[in-house]
Amino acid sequence: MIEISLPAQLNAGRLLPFLAALRESKGSDVRLDFSRLQRITPAGLVALAARVDRWRKQGSDVHSSLPDCPIAWYLDRMSLPQSCGWEGLNLASWPVTGRRHVPVRYINQHVDQMGQEIAACLAPGGEDFEHPMSGLFDFASYVFTETANNTRQHSAGNGFAAAQATRTDGLIRLAIADNGMGIRQTFADAGFDWATTCTDADAIRTALQPRMSCKAGEPNEGVGLTLVAALARLTSAWLLIVSGRGVLRMNQGAAPIISELPDDGTYKGTIVAMTFPERDARAFSELLHRAKQEAGLLQLPKLNIRFET
Amino acid sequence: MKLELPLLTSFGAHLSDGYEAADFRRKEVDPYVDFAEAIVFDFTGVRTANSSFVNALVSGLVEQHGTLIVDKVVFKGCSPVIRVLVRAAIELGMQKIAGRVDA
Repeated sequence: MIEISLPAQLNAGRLLPFLAALRESKGSDVRLDFSRLQRITPAGLVALAARVDRWRKQGSDVHSSLPDCPIAWYLDRMSLPQSCGWEGLNLASWPVTGRRHVPVRYINQHVDQMGQEIAACLAPGGEDFEHPMSGLFDFASYVFTETANNTRQHSAGNGFAAAQATRTDGLIRLAIADNGMGIRQTFADAGFDWATTCTDADAIRTALQPRMSCKAGEPNEGVGLTLVAALARLTSAWLLIVSGRGVLRMNQGAAPIISELPDDGTYKGTIVAMTFPERDARAFSELLHRAKQEAGLLQLPKLNIRFET
Repeated sequence: MKLELPLLTSFGAHLSDGYEAADFRRKEVDPYVDFAEAIVFDFTGVRTANSSFVNALVSGLVEQHGTLIVDKVVFKGCSPVIRVLVRAAIELGMQKIAGRVDA
């Protein structure tokens, strides 16, 4: 039996040692101790859901102490028990917190519909072009669909998404995790020889370069993650990408820091988590224009394109 | 002949899957390019789109048929976001033709 105790705070930098602790079960049963957990972000939730799903595929039974968790009501509201197959735990009822949240969801083939639903939850009313939340709706939909498409099309694993908007700090947290092959292996499978010898961290760095697609040929243009990172930079967001041993962190739009998981840890799959200020994401068309320019995807001064209303 | 392509009817209001876009282009657009005097991509009613979808649809068209194709294409009912995506997709197609992009 593998015993893993969740720390009290599972957010920001504290997430990385936890990810390193989520090792392969190799068929052993796993028990997760939630009794100390007091705070967890969507990134932690989706990483956990993806990992439990992988352990189960490896033939492990995964047990939890969820009823003993001080924030069991929150985990229940975020659908962690359902996502991990721990249903019927009779957890405490939910307090009203006034947050907009997207519970942990399995990423199915209907990415466009999921993007719409997630955006509508984070930016209520934003479906209407004239609504003040319209830009945030577009931003959330864009980031989710580009990232979730990578999960669906490249990871060969299962993906999970979760998000929440917090009124107190004005931040939106959106996270996606899968338990697939990881970024480096997708490059290797696409025939990039360098990917067989490079590090996971190098592969993440490469994935942020424009037009580096994990699958050669159309329709992949390899700009999805590039633009997500550019949007993170332009909105002074926090961006975390973990894949294999590799870690990329961007803090409030600053230059990315590349590192590795501590304790020789490996996360089997990929996590992309973005935390951005709600107010900075609202002018989405301008942000996207600038992101494309900075990525070298909009360089020509004038193109004769016929737009009609 | 004018080739009218109402994307809302074909895909709904949210466009995100590049594979669907590429498949649509191959089946519904490419075969008619030489015969059509105008090709109208009608985005009316489309609420969101991403780069994967628009690149697969538009840059692929430019790459397949050359830069002059842009002269016969009309983009109708585009939101400001979709206009950005279309501009970048056309530019990407042109760059590919020019050999500057090895995608």
